[in-house]
Amino acid sequence: MVGYTLRRLLYIIPTILGVAVLVFVLFTVAGEDPVRVALGQHATPQAIADLEALWGLDKPLWQQFLDFLGQIVTFNYGDSYFTGEVLSEAFASGALVSLSLTLPPFVLGLGLNIAIAMMIAYFRETWIDRFATATAVISMSFSYLVYIIAMQYFLAYELEWFPINGYAQGWDAIPYLALPWLIILLVSIGPDVRIYRTIFLNEMQANYVRTARAKGVSERSVLFTHILKNAMIPILTFTIVAVPFLILGSFLMERFFSIPGLGDLMLTAINNGDFPVLKGMTMYITITYALFNLLTDLFIAAVDPRVKLN
Amino acid sequence: MPRIHINNLYWEAAQQLSRRKIVLVCLGIIAIYMLVALLGIFGLLPDYQTRVSTGYEAPALEFAKLLGTDIFGRSVLYKILAGTKTAMLIGVLVTSISVPTGVILGALAGYYGGIVDIGVVWLYTVISSVPYILMVIAISYVIGKGLVAICLAMGFLGWVGLCRLIRSEVLKTRNLEYIAAARVIGANDAQIIFSHILPNVVHLAIISASLQILGAIKSEVILTFLNVGIQDGSSWGSMIADATGELVQGIWWPLAGVVLAMFLIIYALNVVSDALRDALDPKLRGSTEMAADNAQFEVKETAVQKA
Amino acid sequence: MAVQKTSIWQKTPQMVLSALLVATVAVPLGCRPQNGTGNTDVKVLNYFRTATYKSLDPPKQFDAASAEIIETVYDSLLDYHYLKRPYELAPTLLEEMPELGEDKLTYTFKLQKGIKFHDDPCFPDGKGRELTADDVIYTIKRFSDVNVNPQTYPALLQNRIKGLDAFREKTRQQKTLDYAEESVAGLEKVDSHTFKIVMTEPDPLLLMSFATSPLSIVPQEAVEKYGKGLDNRGVGTGPYTLAKSSRRGEVILKKNPNYHGKYPTAGEPEDQSKGLLTKAGEQLPFIDEIRLPLIEEAQPRMLKFRSGEFDWIGIDRDNFPNMAYKDEKGFHLKEEFAEQFEIYSADDLASFYITINFRDKILGQNKALRQALAYAVDTQAIIDKMANGRGYALNTIVPLPIAGSEDSIAAQWYPHDLQKAKEKLQEAGYPEGQGLPPLVVLYGSATTQTRQSHEFLRAQFAKVGIQLKPEYLSFSDYLRRKEAGSFQLASGGWGADYPDAENFYQLFYSPNKAPGPNDGSYNNPEYDQLYEQMRRMPPGPERNQVISKMAAIFKEDAPIFSITMPIVVGMHQKWLLNLKRNVMLGAHFQFLDIDTQAKAKGLK
Repeated sequence: MVGYTLRRLLYIIPTILGVAVLVFVLFTVAGEDPVRVALGQHATPQAIADLEALWGLDKPLWQQFLDFLGQIVTFNYGDSYFTGEVLSEAFASGALVSLSLTLPPFVLGLGLNIAIAMMIAYFRETWIDRFATATAVISMSFSYLVYIIAMQYFLAYELEWFPINGYAQGWDAIPYLALPWLIILLVSIGPDVRIYRTIFLNEMQANYVRTARAKGVSERSVLFTHILKNAMIPILTFTIVAVPFLILGSFLMERFFSIPGLGDLMLTAINNGDFPVLKGMTMYITITYALFNLLTDLFIAAVDPRVKLN
Repeated sequence: MPRIHINNLYWEAAQQLSRRKIVLVCLGIIAIYMLVALLGIFGLLPDYQTRVSTGYEAPALEFAKLLGTDIFGRSVLYKILAGTKTAMLIGVLVTSISVPTGVILGALAGYYGGIVDIGVVWLYTVISSVPYILMVIAISYVIGKGLVAICLAMGFLGWVGLCRLIRSEVLKTRNLEYIAAARVIGANDAQIIFSHILPNVVHLAIISASLQILGAIKSEVILTFLNVGIQDGSSWGSMIADATGELVQGIWWPLAGVVLAMFLIIYALNVVSDALRDALDPKLRGSTEMAADNAQFEVKETAVQKA
Repeated sequence: MAVQKTSIWQKTPQMVLSALLVATVAVPLGCRPQNGTGNTDVKVLNYFRTATYKSLDPPKQFDAASAEIIETVYDSLLDYHYLKRPYELAPTLLEEMPELGEDKLTYTFKLQKGIKFHDDPCFPDGKGRELTADDVIYTIKRFSDVNVNPQTYPALLQNRIKGLDAFREKTRQQKTLDYAEESVAGLEKVDSHTFKIVMTEPDPLLLMSFATSPLSIVPQEAVEKYGKGLDNRGVGTGPYTLAKSSRRGEVILKKNPNYHGKYPTAGEPEDQSKGLLTKAGEQLPFIDEIRLPLIEEAQPRMLKFRSGEFDWIGIDRDNFPNMAYKDEKGFHLKEEFAEQFEIYSADDLASFYITINFRDKILGQNKALRQALAYAVDTQAIIDKMANGRGYALNTIVPLPIAGSEDSIAAQWYPHDLQKAKEKLQEAGYPEGQGLPPLVVLYGSATTQTRQSHEFLRAQFAKVGIQLKPEYLSFSDYLRRKEAGSFQLASGGWGADYPDAENFYQLFYSPNKAPGPNDGSYNNPEYDQLYEQMRRMPPGPERNQVISKMAAIFKEDAPIFSITMPIVVGMHQKWLLNLKRNVMLGAHFQFLDIDTQAKAKGLK
């Protein structure tokens, strides 16, 4: 176990290196030129040269890359070109906001969708199952954009049940987050329920279930005690995979609802060519993602006796 | 599994599919959209730039005005048809890049193992660590904007899911007895891969393809909405982008039209992919792992949509 | 599997979760966010920001979002008079307008006595001290330091003050320079409240540079104490203090009780009847607190305004048709809104046009072709369709309320005339457009607005047989292509740095060719000569004559087409008083007033 963990941790390094190269190439070589965006109509050659010197963009590429590697190791990505904010602070506050947007519906959705899926799996092959599956597919067939636009328009604008957008600090944020939560939850029901349902159905086919039933174990017991437990493994496998990305928020949501989270930060940074922000965010996500994957695998190994670490 | 069984699998699958009416209807819908796309490619669609009116007009009973007109008096219906061509084109292009790449890399990684495997796994780990939207936007900056760029970008990122699946399938089957038997007879690697292993995983590619087309269409809409995608205004994404401002003015028909058009094709693709999966995936009656792996597909797709 | 009756047990998780879901939705419904209560003692302005600010440190920015806050927290030496039009300078921190010496090169500035900086921990015992000439000289030096400000120096002070360029060069060599050690010949301190600025040559426009937000006066103590922190803080002499700054959240400004400014006593003839002079001569500011949350989307802003949560807003394209209309007399609100709100409009000091690249083989040498393009466009129609008529088709490149614009010069641009366009096209060698390859226009964005404007243009040109293709680039790519001069046609525009025609005519001065602001590389020696002449003349009838000639040459050569000036149209609540939209001021919160009784009533 320890050996496996150490090996996996070591393996993260080439991954991070790979991402660093990718990110560096993409954002330094391609992408918006932050200097020109900043200078706008006053971009004279002298001003461009001066600003580049100020931002360290006149150093040779390989040197910029080494600086970047240094930043990754020290977790200090410097300051944003455009906001001058110290990035670690910007990330921290943005991350908190994004999490307040994505975490509650995620957790709620997990519980809700598992429950719905279990119910459907129980009623499989009946009209309930077919109806639910059809509804799920229908709901998945609309673009996320459409949900946001339509619900914001009807529920907030026309019916005025929710504030149209905005954000506040602390608990005051809840009224503003309510509609986004609702939308995220709704959109997640379709795909998640289908996936969970499949997993449950598969579990139900397993031999041990037949054995249990043959032994006379009640349906309820079968469902809760056996199937749920075993199904949790695949369910958790890909649920956890999604967690690191929760911190990114949802940039569509954040844009439409004026929520100052990381997704919005990322979108602005892309438009401005704000490299420090982009590089920093990507590296944070990568490292978190890799660590989470490792945690998941370890967790599964601990919990599922069938799995052997190799 | 010898060939005969595989043929039977597909045959049975086809039979099963044709038995369900809704699947047939959806296949029909897909066919109609493909037809429209072909007409568009050959320039046989009505020109969406023609002014059929002078400004906004609600839907009326004339053909061109069935879905109303936009700010310039252009037919919403014509614009949607043009958008259909774009959407189907993108779907097909992206899939034709991502599916072969995923299959080949997955098969190679699974079969050869060792450094090839490590390399491929490293590659897709790196790619999937960067937020999807970020990557697509960044890539489109390198390649430029427009249809081809977006397809390349999405294709470059979309092979990961399928690759993972193929790889794990190949890993499982490469040690089976009949493979060993083939080797004993003297088949070389290429033959083994193509004649024995791949046929067993092609069904995954098919299922993945249908999901990819779907995913590509949905992603393109979001990307164009963010001003990264198709620029000339003939895509569904730009129609949605324009629609937000129009709704407040009480002009609902451009949005309604696009939503309807998108819904039909995406729903049809969803139904067909499900049916394909039910029919082709023999493991559905079996292991949990497989289902979980299959489910991974959907996670990736929804991850994009939830972006 | 047969369906069995499920016991209540199995249903529990679903029920619990459903209840949770309902609760999640119901709770927020019950608690809508509260607004300001009806406290009529405190005057609060509820407005908003539409973009994040780049920096609140004056020399490090030049964007509207930053200027809005900086001009409220800091003062610059001069500023534009709030009420007078055409825009003219007024002394803010000075006792009177600076005096120009006999040599025509030296301005003498006299600071008002008793102006205090805000109370702030950077000052000893936290009390703001008095503003002196040293502060001004320090501010100018810091502004010229290339390590602090690579951006706005060239446009505002380059080649204008004796010894300042050399100073800037020195800062390029030595990253950290002690300003006190380096004296600049053109910045002379006379006494604690008097100083002189010596120009390199007579320049009637220099004072306008001192009316910009980057040259707001910053105290040395604040720089020393906060350094980079000044990006998010403000310590100035302005009418408001920065109580809370938040990039993406709400900015809160609080009244500076020691502010020195007073409400203007004169304005335009109509100001009196509009009630804009009721507070003449009174101590500013009137409003106690200003709240500025960040709301980037137009729709939510409009909804909040309509419900009374915002006091003032600009009308955007999508909302205009619902709420307002335009007739020959101007802009009006529709009846149902006219009861609650007031509408205003103001000319924006910017002009937008399509630039023709003189380096292009097809267009550069073919005057008739360029003129054909100019005739083919129906600029007013574009404005009406794409901007609800909130714009004006200019006859010269200079926007209206500016010295040297068509207000004082007889100039006529090309009218929309398809017949003439076709004739010119023929003359150019492309009868009916035959033989002319499609022309490509560069845009710096691909927003709905841009795309639709292009579509409109394309359709117009199609009527005479000219094909137009768009190329939508990212903003920086667009800038790069223009700098490199590698384009045929490009959308372009210029916002006035200062309200004078020179700022616009310099855009076509040949030494400014790409990579300078003259991206089309327009080159006409006669025009250049006239420009050099005009640049040194003070505004007046003599200069207008020169400008007249320039405008005629310009028109004949047609280096651009489709010139528009935007008109800003907005609304405010009836309880917001003293609002006169001034586009040269970054913010004019200090002049506004609120009828708190009316506001409390209106919010119920």
